[in-house]
Amino acid sequence: MALPGIASFLVTIGTLACIWGLLALGLNVHYGYTGLLNFGHVAFFAAGAYASAVLTMPPPEQVSQANYVIGLDLPMPLGFPVSLAVAALAGGLLALLIGSTSVRLGSHYLAIATFALAGIFEDVLVNETWLTNGTFGMNSVPKPMRETLGAGGWQVAYLAFSALCLLGVYLLLDRLIDAPFGRLLRGVRESEDAARMLGKDTNLVKLKSFAIGGAIAGFAGGLYAHFLGSVVTEQFVAGVTFVVWAAILLGGVASSSGAIVGAFLLIAFQQSTRFILTIYGWIQSVLPEPLSGVLPAIFAPLPDHPSFVPSVRFIVIGCLFVLVIRYRPEGLFGDPNEVTVMGEEE
Amino acid sequence: MASALSQFLQAVAFGLVEASVISVGAVGLTLSYGVTRFINFAYGEFLAYGAFLAFFLSGAGAGVVGLPVAAVVAVLLVGALGVAVSRVFFRPISDRGALPLLITSIGVAFILRYLLIAGASAEARQLPVPLMRPVEVAGVGLTPLELGVVAVSVVTMLAIHLLLQRTMLGKTMRATSGNRSLAEVAGIDTDAVIRKTWFISAAAGGLAGILYGVLFAPFRPTFGFGYLIVVFAATLLGGIGRPYGAMLGAVLIGLMISLGSTYLSASYDQAYAFIALVGVLLLRPEGIRGGEF
Amino acid sequence: MSVDRAETETNGDRPEDSTLLAVDGVVKQFGGLVAVDGATFGVEAGSITGLIGPNGAGKSTLFDCITGVYTPDAGTVTLDGEAIQGLSPNQVAARGVGRTFQTPKTFRGMTVRENLAFAAREQTGERALGALFRPGRVETEETAIQETVDETLEFLELDHLAEEYAGGLSGGQRKLLELGRVLMMDPEIILLDEPVAGVNPALTDELLERLHELNDRGRTILFIEHDMDIVMGHCDSVVVLHNGQTLAVGPPEIVQEDDRVVEAYLGGYD
Repeated sequence: MALPGIASFLVTIGTLACIWGLLALGLNVHYGYTGLLNFGHVAFFAAGAYASAVLTMPPPEQVSQANYVIGLDLPMPLGFPVSLAVAALAGGLLALLIGSTSVRLGSHYLAIATFALAGIFEDVLVNETWLTNGTFGMNSVPKPMRETLGAGGWQVAYLAFSALCLLGVYLLLDRLIDAPFGRLLRGVRESEDAARMLGKDTNLVKLKSFAIGGAIAGFAGGLYAHFLGSVVTEQFVAGVTFVVWAAILLGGVASSSGAIVGAFLLIAFQQSTRFILTIYGWIQSVLPEPLSGVLPAIFAPLPDHPSFVPSVRFIVIGCLFVLVIRYRPEGLFGDPNEVTVMGEEE
Repeated sequence: MASALSQFLQAVAFGLVEASVISVGAVGLTLSYGVTRFINFAYGEFLAYGAFLAFFLSGAGAGVVGLPVAAVVAVLLVGALGVAVSRVFFRPISDRGALPLLITSIGVAFILRYLLIAGASAEARQLPVPLMRPVEVAGVGLTPLELGVVAVSVVTMLAIHLLLQRTMLGKTMRATSGNRSLAEVAGIDTDAVIRKTWFISAAAGGLAGILYGVLFAPFRPTFGFGYLIVVFAATLLGGIGRPYGAMLGAVLIGLMISLGSTYLSASYDQAYAFIALVGVLLLRPEGIRGGEF
Repeated sequence: MSVDRAETETNGDRPEDSTLLAVDGVVKQFGGLVAVDGATFGVEAGSITGLIGPNGAGKSTLFDCITGVYTPDAGTVTLDGEAIQGLSPNQVAARGVGRTFQTPKTFRGMTVRENLAFAAREQTGERALGALFRPGRVETEETAIQETVDETLEFLELDHLAEEYAGGLSGGQRKLLELGRVLMMDPEIILLDEPVAGVNPALTDELLERLHELNDRGRTILFIEHDMDIVMGHCDSVVVLHNGQTLAVGPPEIVQEDDRVVEAYLGGYD
């Protein structure tokens, strides 16, 4: 049984929000708790998604337009947890790799290094067709238990599962951050020099933070791949990183619950604005005759190319960065005491 | 053998042509870093605005004027845009340290880029430049257009050199860059210096974008953000805040990209720039010309 | 203080058995500038040693060479007979060298209590797996750490500020907090970079009193100070640094009479 349109839409939004919530939790470990400027978060997300795809896609001979070589065809549903674990591992390992070259650098260099490495990773995904099927994408990623549950049931079940994952990661992080481990991360954020002088190996701490946040993003990638049933390079552009950034800035850095709320708000905003034109059409259709000329008259000067509405969405996200930083650096739920330092370099 | 040599020389020549574009952008970026002390992720948008303004002002767009005039007007407009952007977005939080400024610059990049797309659509465009046959010298062929790009870049570098060394503004820029509070004590109007530096820096970005548009047509509104990695690489390689280092860094990056694309794989042009950068950062975090970050 | 310092020479004294920290011929250059130029001296176990010298004499750079911020271009630094030059700051700290900064580097977005607890050594809960899977052990350790934190707070009379964020403290309170953080590491030797500069007189006296108390408990202290009265009144031994070289080493009353020291201080900076 399929869900009716609006319910299906809400369930999809909910699932995406959980996945983006995980991404935000991961980035919050980097920036919120450790002060690491990671501008390449999407790479870890992509690493997880592609790891899951390679692990569970059927071998290339069974798929049309297949230019990839490896498809391990892990059986569902038992392969599903394995796939997610490997996705997390892939994200964590990529973070370790990128981190080991970069965490020693000053925070601005780290920003540029991660930004650029994510760009290169995107190039790799596009060009290494044997592994990723290039821009065409890997489009037969299995949806676990899809046949058993039916279309609607599966959507609801997957939402429930994603929500559970989000809750689980949230609780694990909560425990980590409350423990001396969290104190260690926050001290490194506040002053690396001081932390080092107190006998803490700050590079190792930063590397651990990087790996943990990367693993969470990789896990989110695996969840995403099995949700959509396909993995395509254009899902993993730099814009994703900055949407997640917008989420944690809005929700409040150094606050896990803030990060999740921020992610939910951003996904809700992004997805609902897809329907602006539909809503516009609907309003126009129900308006009585004398008023039907009003809206077109107001909006006529606006360009009507297909990129217009999506660009407005990104302009709003850009404004979010500017306004939150200027007027409310702690975001909605952050603690202003914790973010005072984040502006300053030593 | 002769063909292998000429292939190499050709790659070097292309590398130097691309270096001309990169150096204009890198010098512009590094100048503004010198006085503002944060890395501006919105800088790539100045490139995009330069190219698109030149497109719309010249024959290809509204058809108002010829490309050279359009280019000059576009460069000035982008300079003014730089001043406006610094005024509206950066100045109000300039006392909050580098991180808020850097994060704000991401937001500014989004605003500028998607305003451009909202207005001009995401369509790829092309500047009205004629197709030209390469002129061959010693087995190396470059079109007059490519030679023109190099010439414009060299003239720009000379102009910036003279500006920094010979003019009062250059001296006050260097003083402000060296130590802002000291410059203020010495009676320099640092606000004015910063404003002028923003103008020059953004204008250079606009020019770099136009040169990019001449060389790499067609281009989309997103090209500036993509090319940012390359400009960053040259800037950091040269030791950020150091105009002459940026020029040197641009040459190295241009050569890396061209040689890498010729001999390894053309799919990873930006990666070569970045691998060079990471290598240098790890060995000499202060860049090849030294200095502090 | 029963350590015999009668034989201390002004230069080139070899580390003796009672020497805890020995700096020998340390050189540090930046570009063409020589910041430390062959500094040589020893800090005796259980002493309070003052490190003085005009501005630009290389005192802070020398601290940086001892604590691993910089690797000296030449020379050795030994702690308890083991070479420590070239180790990273955290390794040096782990061997028992605590250090404060001229401008305190407190963790401003953390409470005073968290600042102190951070510095406790060897915490199981500092490892991610430990924090996740050994809650019992972490809790036991944490209880002990918090007890030490309470003692330290009391000792420094900061207890009323325990739950305040460090960002809200006054300059003097930050200096105390930084000292407390170092104490949480339980170091063998404490290096203090101008511990009383910018601190009001009442707090200065208190801070100095605390240093003596710590010293009485067996900790060795090396501190940079500009105020001659403080150095002369509170140190067992004084090291005078000038142009990156050790000009004189010895008990304050002797160093004070040294012609070269007088000249370095009165003859201006060159």
